[in-house]
Amino acid sequence: MPIDIYWRIGTHGDQQSLRRRVSSRGEWAPVVPGSLTPGVRDGRRDGYSYVDHMADVARASESSGFVGGLLPSFPFTDDPWAAAAALARETTTYRFMIAYQPGFLHPVQAARMSASLQRVTGGRVVYNIISGGGGPAQLWWGDRVDHDDRYARTSEFLDVLKGVWNGGPFDYEGRFYQVEGAGLPEPLARQPFPEIYFSGSSKAAIEAAGRHADYYLSWLEPFPELAAKFVQVREHSAALGRAPKFAVRIDVLARETEEAAWDEIRRGWTHVDQAALRSPDGDSVGWLRSQSFVSWPVRDYRELEVSPNVWSGFHLLRGGPAFGLVGSYEQVAERLDELIGIGVDAFILAGVPHLEEAYRVGEEVLPLLRGHDIRQASPLSPHTSLSVAKGTI
Amino acid sequence: MTDSPDFLIPVPTRGDGRDPLRRDRGDWQPAARRPLPALVTDLRPGAFGPFEHLAQIGRAAEIAGLGGALVPFDPAGEESLVVAAGLLRQSRHLRVVAGFHPGIATPVYAAKFSASLQRFVDNRLGWQVDIGLDPAIARSQGDFLQGADRYARAEEFLTVARGVWNEEGYTYEGRFYQVLAGGFQPPNSGLPFPRVYLTGTSSDALAVSARHADVHLFTGDQDVAAGIAELGARSAEAGRRLEYGLRLPVLARDDDDEAWDEARRLWNIIGGTGDGLPDPDPRTGLWHGFGRIADSAKPGLVGSYETVAAGIRGYLDQGVTTFVLEARPHIEETYRLGERLLPLFAKEIEHAH
Repeated sequence: MPIDIYWRIGTHGDQQSLRRRVSSRGEWAPVVPGSLTPGVRDGRRDGYSYVDHMADVARASESSGFVGGLLPSFPFTDDPWAAAAALARETTTYRFMIAYQPGFLHPVQAARMSASLQRVTGGRVVYNIISGGGGPAQLWWGDRVDHDDRYARTSEFLDVLKGVWNGGPFDYEGRFYQVEGAGLPEPLARQPFPEIYFSGSSKAAIEAAGRHADYYLSWLEPFPELAAKFVQVREHSAALGRAPKFAVRIDVLARETEEAAWDEIRRGWTHVDQAALRSPDGDSVGWLRSQSFVSWPVRDYRELEVSPNVWSGFHLLRGGPAFGLVGSYEQVAERLDELIGIGVDAFILAGVPHLEEAYRVGEEVLPLLRGHDIRQASPLSPHTSLSVAKGTI
Repeated sequence: MTDSPDFLIPVPTRGDGRDPLRRDRGDWQPAARRPLPALVTDLRPGAFGPFEHLAQIGRAAEIAGLGGALVPFDPAGEESLVVAAGLLRQSRHLRVVAGFHPGIATPVYAAKFSASLQRFVDNRLGWQVDIGLDPAIARSQGDFLQGADRYARAEEFLTVARGVWNEEGYTYEGRFYQVLAGGFQPPNSGLPFPRVYLTGTSSDALAVSARHADVHLFTGDQDVAAGIAELGARSAEAGRRLEYGLRLPVLARDDDDEAWDEARRLWNIIGGTGDGLPDPDPRTGLWHGFGRIADSAKPGLVGSYETVAAGIRGYLDQGVTTFVLEARPHIEETYRLGERLLPLFAKEIEHAH
């Protein structure tokens, strides 16, 4: 099976590099000389906005070899549905991976939006379903359903969404949703159903993923822990007669040499606020996990290199998850190959700045991937355990 | 003061066509599309999607000088927010009003989606919030709320959406929605809230409109004068001033005879020639036959450009300033309206600017 490699389209502005934590793309920070696409030029509204930059990132990554882009969703970001709908007609092959929490949209509405988007894009919508997060942010969204119940709601949400997808009439009576005589109208019905990338590290998430995920999506973690997580999901899914694939979301800082890559980190590190080194927030199990692999406090950035080229300090240089790969083009490609070896079927890569790094990673790293040879030879290869699991069904 | 008339067109989200009830444009009924004979080279298959035609209608409206386009909530059509986002992204001036009902999303999410869109397109998004749905349709959308509760929820929906839009740290505790320490931050805050279009003539509907509508839309079969009087009084109590609009099918040609000939031609396409063309209402001048020849079953105006303009002017005098002009097929008729009808209001438009 080919490996699907996605890029990421930032929905919250972008920095010019990891050296300075200053957002200069879009109007996400105070507009100063050097701010790009803030919608104002020479003191007048110019009709451009951050979405024009997002379109650039989409086209850049589309043309440099990525199958699509993840559009993340957080309280203070742009909305992925709005971005995908706006950009749908400006790309050709690019898939829009829309991150969303089931429950904010009604599943019938989500089905309608998805079907129209599938029609406008020719079937290029992918879902990244997130149910966790939580903490204060969940109440910001106006959502009082608690952590484990959110996964139950996600299951119902997907039941209803899939129920109406192929037309009706479809009836459903659940804890969270009821519909009667529902179904997409004729030309919208039976579009290709979006692939589901399912995130979440908790027990509830892994159980729900077993039922619904096409891909179980994790942040990058140290490889043995990641492999163990995959085994857990694989076992849960096998019990339900399903076999999801695996995807990892990874930040990449790749340069011609390893020294040049670490030099970028070194420059960024001089601006890190030492007091903010540990601030877990919310009830996301994934975030707490990611912080548990490092012994805090940390004095030097190389202490955050938990295994060769795996660095857990990205969150200190830009918003987002902690883990990523730092190294030469060859090293980063080797690490990605190792991940393919332990069973990864898809990647969501990202680099700052997203526009320029899409070209760099597409041109310099992706062509070095060997993938399949590696997977057959890997001691952690998933194939043995998977075939055993299949044999028990 | 004479307000400047604002002209919009509705966007056909379940197909469009040359003749009444034909929906072969926009890939809605692919089977109904007449194929080219085999001897003619046809490069189209696979090259065009269903949204090409919608985009073409948006461009037509913008080029023809219409102020905006209304994408209706239609459970049997394309999803309106997706269509609206596409039309907005591909236009520079067109305002686009997306129709939906409050059950589609939480008010926070509807506001968040809309804030992004407002930023993307320089604040050209509007909302038409449909509150009173047919009960069976509402249930098919997963919405089992009925009667007065629908208006109570709409009231909360619009209150919360505006609350998170305008106020950082916003907290709300209602019957339908709760928010704790919500509210947008820059650059998603401080934007113009989407212009809100509401409809309905019940007391509940008018009460919500008085507090939340920017524009209240009527149809020609409603008592527009009485509605405006009632809403004027109610909105004044709320310390607000509403604008008023009308959904109005039109069939306009060079002279009255040509317009009525066309009405007759369209009328006869459906149902044969057995029954005669109804006359327009002698009191209002509105023709009630559009249900058979157009998408809308609402009464509208048939006649020369001057006749139609005179009818519109009658509504302008009553205080109606927004006109959603319905005419099929959308592209040809939108160009026609832009070239022939809108210039008759040049004076009013210039006066208001």
